[in-house]
Amino acid sequence: MSDPLMPELPSAGGGTIAPRQPTDWTTDAMRQRIRKRYARERRFRRLGLVAVVMSAAFLAFLLVTMASQGLGGFFRTEVALPIDFPQTGIEVDKAALDQPGADLALAGAGLENIVGSAAIAAFGDYGPNVISDNAWLTVREAIKHDPSILDGRAVIHVPASAEIDRAISETGTPEAEAAVTKLQAENAITEGFNWRFLSASDSTDPTQVGIWGALKGSFFTMLVTFLIAFPVGVLAAIYLEEYAPKNRWTDLVEVSINNLAAVPSIIFGLLGLAVFLGTWTLFGHKVGPLLPRSAALVGGLTLALMIMPVIVIASRNAIKAVPPSIRDAALGIGASKVQVVFHHVLPLALPGILTGTIIGMARALGETAPLLLVGMRAFIATPPDSLTDKATVLPVQIFLWSDEVSRGFVEKTSAAIIVLLVFLLAMNAVAIYLRNKFETRW
Amino acid sequence: MNDLTDTTLAQTAREHADMADSAAPVKMAARDVHVYYGETHAIKGVSIDIDMDHVTAFIGPSGCGKSTFLRTLNRMNDTIAAARVEGQITLDGEDIYASGMDVVQLRARVGMVFQKPNPFPKSIYENVAYGPRIHGLAASKSDMDAIVERSLRRAGLWDEVKDRLTDSGTAMSGGQQQRLCIARAIAVDPEVILMDEPCSALDPIATAKIEELIHELRGNYAIVIVTHNMQQAARVSQRTAFFHLGNLVEYGVTSDIFTNPREDKTKDYITGRYG
Ligand SMILES: Nc1ncnc2c1ncn2[C@@H]1O[C@H](COP(=O)(O)OP(=O)(O)O)[C@@H](O)[C@H]1O
Ligand SMILES: [Mg+2]
Repeated sequence: MSDPLMPELPSAGGGTIAPRQPTDWTTDAMRQRIRKRYARERRFRRLGLVAVVMSAAFLAFLLVTMASQGLGGFFRTEVALPIDFPQTGIEVDKAALDQPGADLALAGAGLENIVGSAAIAAFGDYGPNVISDNAWLTVREAIKHDPSILDGRAVIHVPASAEIDRAISETGTPEAEAAVTKLQAENAITEGFNWRFLSASDSTDPTQVGIWGALKGSFFTMLVTFLIAFPVGVLAAIYLEEYAPKNRWTDLVEVSINNLAAVPSIIFGLLGLAVFLGTWTLFGHKVGPLLPRSAALVGGLTLALMIMPVIVIASRNAIKAVPPSIRDAALGIGASKVQVVFHHVLPLALPGILTGTIIGMARALGETAPLLLVGMRAFIATPPDSLTDKATVLPVQIFLWSDEVSRGFVEKTSAAIIVLLVFLLAMNAVAIYLRNKFETRW
Repeated sequence: MNDLTDTTLAQTAREHADMADSAAPVKMAARDVHVYYGETHAIKGVSIDIDMDHVTAFIGPSGCGKSTFLRTLNRMNDTIAAARVEGQITLDGEDIYASGMDVVQLRARVGMVFQKPNPFPKSIYENVAYGPRIHGLAASKSDMDAIVERSLRRAGLWDEVKDRLTDSGTAMSGGQQQRLCIARAIAVDPEVILMDEPCSALDPIATAKIEELIHELRGNYAIVIVTHNMQQAARVSQRTAFFHLGNLVEYGVTSDIFTNPREDKTKDYITGRYG
């Protein structure tokens, strides 16, 4: 009987099956094969180990050089400078000191020269080289803080010059070495944490520079990037995964997005330059530039274009990973499409979306090239106060400092790199934490 | 051997035929329904009446279109891009594929329980409360508490979970999860409940509980259950529809189908000749 639903088994009547021959596992060929297999396993393991050791060595080398060069940047050498104010004949109206014009009043009183003379009085002819050129700024702050010191003799800790700094950390000029020996004997040298490095902005004097301006610029830029790239990227991913019909056009969009994620960042810089800062002639009228140059707004928009594909891809994968049975369950009790997405799919996909976003943001935070193109390489001595102020960002600041000839900038460059690395590591740590904490369990 | 199976099934069906009222009012009616997945013709002109307050079983070999047809009854096929439905299906005389039909409301009226238990990864309480919340069925927190309790009681789950309503719905046994899904479906007060092989992922004890539950729910809802298990169809249903290769081969009162099938194909299938 032939039933189409019950295929017949092949009948075993065709020929006689030879009796079973036991395998000999001890022949030479067999032994050799086993030896070969073991050798291959060992070789592979060694190669893997070499690869890991090499990458670890590179990483260690990077960290050690950065730390050894850069940690000094977080500390500064201070010299105790005694100043006998009545003797210097300084004339300042004390009443003016708590008013906005205080800086001007003190500058008019010749504070810079007074500090220079005090240094000569205290440390001899080499004195002015012991203290930083900007030491008088510290003195000015001290006077503003407590005007009563003008009435007598005060000891003020002012930053040491770059020469003295170098004489302490390595070997400096003979004069500087001699001055250090003398100062140390007098206990006039102290090492302190360089708060200025975190609170000041760019300067031409390496002892005065800080990263606050660049950090603020980075913060504003990242803010713009996040506010644009996150919602647009996630909405695009939701649309592509949940709403778009699967046809040739969506395939094309998918391929384009994947390609965009691989486009070199400098190209996005050119795009930002052309779109946000370019000028066009429309109907005989000159239009543009749309946005101000060098501003965090432009940099943020440019970086948003750059990381949007990354966010879209990560979000699509996270949304795809939500089991279809959850969608069915919600649809089955009469949830609308939007309710399914916002009540069920997004909450479950959010950890993956956030992880992808943070990784994209970390990439944006470390980006230099596109920002150079939109003019964020300006010398910024005052931190930006708004999204449209001229600003720079941490990696660009590092790039600019690394280009400086003055020796003092080497240390500051490495110190700024350390700060950048700390931020990047922190962001990646948060991403890993999120991934592990919300790893889907059902 | 075949005859023995047949007799046992027929007997089971007769024992459970108590409620079978051959002149029950019609809840849902399908007329000449065709379903296509792209080129595949999965349902080929099926016409059937789903009776009110009865349990209707869909049986048939794998791939014959039982799930496909079940999903046309609450328009879950809308979610499959390639699927196309032709023909007419009515709920209380109203065409559910008419352009004015609100799919969201339809799915609240025609609830569904899936093959694999699929509770939301939320608390037990939230699982049941979700439907009533999105449809605005509870005016207050105490209303909602009452709905949740009533639904869990009807699903025979209340005593097991009343002390841990805040635990995750996914942290229960498979059988409990499936009963939670049934509670979730009845929380929105549906008129019809569709169940697609609700016991295929469960052990025999959990299966028995679900069957018992279906028994208790019958009489309040029109229930349609897809099953692979002939015994189950005989035990829980009063109507049986046998599908084969996209056709509805035979449909009738369960005890008749199992004692006295009109078609040879039906007879072959229920006596275990294939499937
Ligand atoms: N999403 C789908 N896309 C394409 N074909 C499908 C899809 N779902 C089911 N089919 C086809 O439709 C037919 C009926 O399937 P189904 O309704 O799942 O059968 P059953 O539930 O009776 O096992 C099968 O041939 C199957 O391959
Ligand atoms: Mg099925």
